[in-house]
Amino acid sequence: MSDWTVKELEEWDERVCNVAADFGLDWFPINYDICDYYEMIGHMSYHGLPSHYDHWSYGKSFERTHQMYNHGQSGLPYELIINSNPSIAYLMKENPLYLQVLIMAHCVGHSDFFKNNLTFENTRPDSSVSRFRNAKKRIKSYMEDPSIGIDKVEDLLDNLHSIKYQVNRNSTARISHNDVREELSERLKAGEDIGVDINQVPLRREYDLLAFFMEQGKHFSDWELDVINIVREESLYFIPQIKTKIMNEGWASYWHYTIMNELKLPSEMHLPFIKSHNQVIRPHLGGINPYHLGFEMFQKLDKEFGRDEIFMIREVFHDESFLRNYLDLDQMIELNLFSYSKNRKKKAYVIDEISDEDGWKTVKNNLIKQTGVGGIPKMFIEVLEPGGTLVLGHDHDGRDLELNYANVVVNNVAKIWEDVVKLETIIEEEPWEI
Amino acid sequence: MSIFKEHKTTADRSASDRSRHKKKIEKAIREGIHDIVADESIIGQDGKKKIKIPVKGIKEYRFVYGDNDTNKQVGSAPGKNIRKGQQIGRADKKKPGKGDKAGNEAGEEYYDVEISLEELAAYLFDSLNLPDLEKKRFTNIIGEKMKRHGYRNQGIRPRLDKKETLKKKLKRKNAAKRTGTYNEDEDERFPFHESDLRYKFITETPKENSNAVIFFMMDVSGSMGVQKKFIARSFFFLLYQFLRYKYDKIEVVFIAHTTEAKEVSEEEFFSRGQSGGTFISAAPELAVEIMNKRYHPSSWNIYAFHGSDGDNWTEDNEKALDYTQRLKDKSQMYGFIEIKPTGGQEWMSWSGGNTMMKVYIPLVDNKFKTILLQSKDDIWPAFVKLFGGMQ
Repeated sequence: MSDWTVKELEEWDERVCNVAADFGLDWFPINYDICDYYEMIGHMSYHGLPSHYDHWSYGKSFERTHQMYNHGQSGLPYELIINSNPSIAYLMKENPLYLQVLIMAHCVGHSDFFKNNLTFENTRPDSSVSRFRNAKKRIKSYMEDPSIGIDKVEDLLDNLHSIKYQVNRNSTARISHNDVREELSERLKAGEDIGVDINQVPLRREYDLLAFFMEQGKHFSDWELDVINIVREESLYFIPQIKTKIMNEGWASYWHYTIMNELKLPSEMHLPFIKSHNQVIRPHLGGINPYHLGFEMFQKLDKEFGRDEIFMIREVFHDESFLRNYLDLDQMIELNLFSYSKNRKKKAYVIDEISDEDGWKTVKNNLIKQTGVGGIPKMFIEVLEPGGTLVLGHDHDGRDLELNYANVVVNNVAKIWEDVVKLETIIEEEPWEI
Repeated sequence: MSIFKEHKTTADRSASDRSRHKKKIEKAIREGIHDIVADESIIGQDGKKKIKIPVKGIKEYRFVYGDNDTNKQVGSAPGKNIRKGQQIGRADKKKPGKGDKAGNEAGEEYYDVEISLEELAAYLFDSLNLPDLEKKRFTNIIGEKMKRHGYRNQGIRPRLDKKETLKKKLKRKNAAKRTGTYNEDEDERFPFHESDLRYKFITETPKENSNAVIFFMMDVSGSMGVQKKFIARSFFFLLYQFLRYKYDKIEVVFIAHTTEAKEVSEEEFFSRGQSGGTFISAAPELAVEIMNKRYHPSSWNIYAFHGSDGDNWTEDNEKALDYTQRLKDKSQMYGFIEIKPTGGQEWMSWSGGNTMMKVYIPLVDNKFKTILLQSKDDIWPAFVKLFGGMQ
């Protein structure tokens, strides 16, 4: 079985914490939950949240991970930690001691990032665990309510999940339609040209589809409004993590590496630690490993600008701005970043730009485009027609939507909206309507 | 300092979500049944054969970017030699190097469930909830089987068991030696005695016969188009899988007919296209003949299914009724499947709407059923109805 005792973990934790505190890291207290691999997969399926509402998709997620693990196609992630105060992290019983210590050092890095990075400013970590627990209770009560039932709740969740990230992507609060209308009315009275019919809904492009539904949908019952709100709240909680994947993993990897080296490990722990570390931060050939990219960038920034600077960076940036400001030609050449796309004639993926003097800016822009929430198409409410038809728009940035998916999603939105829903986008440089 | 908790509970937190997911898969498989049979040679296949089923509806759809040439993606390749225009992977395969998932991965999630025909059948039929299926529909033929049942010391000569008899004699000999009534060196031989003789004892036990033969009959005349055959094939596939699931041994006879009937292979059965008219009677007539020769109803459970578009030459109707009745008498179940896709002009066929379904009305009872299939979506409900299940 394991080559460690809980007492040993506590001793190592103390050393890790002391070293981390000396370096100036500032993290939430961490609660480690020791579990076996089966429970680990269970927690992973619910994004590490100790309680989460039921939905079949989490069962699917479990089956996939479990199958992959059993077939040896993937190892389990070393670490799983959630943004809460105190932080909750998981340690698998099966891990050897050196790996537990590495994970603990890594978790300190994550927790510090959650606590200090501005993207997480409004995620309310003090109450996140209880919020998810309450949401689970409420959804359960709707499922058990004989006048609602599991099928109705599940159908609504199915449809909502297909647009769950179509919510406010900034950490700023959304301005309600009434407030926008009031403001524009004032300007209209003052004789200003506001460029829009004051009776139109929405008056501005509305990117928060779920908030719009709650605000403008007249047909929802209370439980439906609550379910929409639960899904939206969860997305708002997770979007900061999507926006900082590279930085967050890079920061945690930079710190586990730094702390572990500082710990002066005995050689029987040091060598396997180096091996695991290299495994975690290895580049993914043809893809982007956020651990790799983030680690390399923080290492380089530390050398060039020093510790104080990287502490500032971890506070104010997110992945898009981080890459835009700090990824330079030298590093792109070193990482050998390239951009590729599908070539229809050759029926193959072909490299169209590499990181050299001419191409690096293009490659960098393409990388930024696909980073964080940039990987998710940005949709908005174009107009709610007086007859009830809802028209969706798409911020087209050169990348076309996958139409098979878009068709189904539009259909799902129509089920939520209970009226006609249209989508206007661009496909191969021509307007396209669903 | 951190807190370490080692909990003792092994709560399987995703169990109920997994079972909801499983139900979804099963539903998707049932709904996708017509896609499964589209291009597979399935009847008569080994049950271990794996097929891929496109499972629809449990994909989680979101707005994602397509895989078109305007969608530039970025990858890394430290230490590798790369150049513009270099080909890095075939587009019909999976995308090269998929990155870590962060709720924003695009592209194809594939949910082809690979499953053996046996598993498929189990999936389909376990969830059918057929009421009292065994009692009502699957009364097996009772035959008699001879079975050995120990030994007796009386019996007929041919059932004498020499080995057991010898054992018995040796036992007696050893006993005699111990008690001193027999001395091997002095007494020359130790003869068999009446009480040594052991006979095999045979009992006759009633036995359920678990053999079944299915007669698949189909009209292959000119009016049976590709679409109709496809529907027939799908339905036959289900029937075959279901019956095979129920019986140890199953054989299939394919009878294709126009005005004449002929026994054919599976491949021919589904591909034959012929011109000419239709005598419905030809098929049951041949089936009865084959049954009498090869599949005697005393040892075979007989199932008969006849697919047709319902057209028949009127003068044949009486004969058709007669042979169908004969075949029905010997069958566990007989289904007449009339395939009339909607939307075509075939409703007004030259027989003036006098379809076989009407002709067969007098025969309809528990054993004999007529089924109308108008589209592939009717297949599963009709199947459930045929076997009296509930969906």
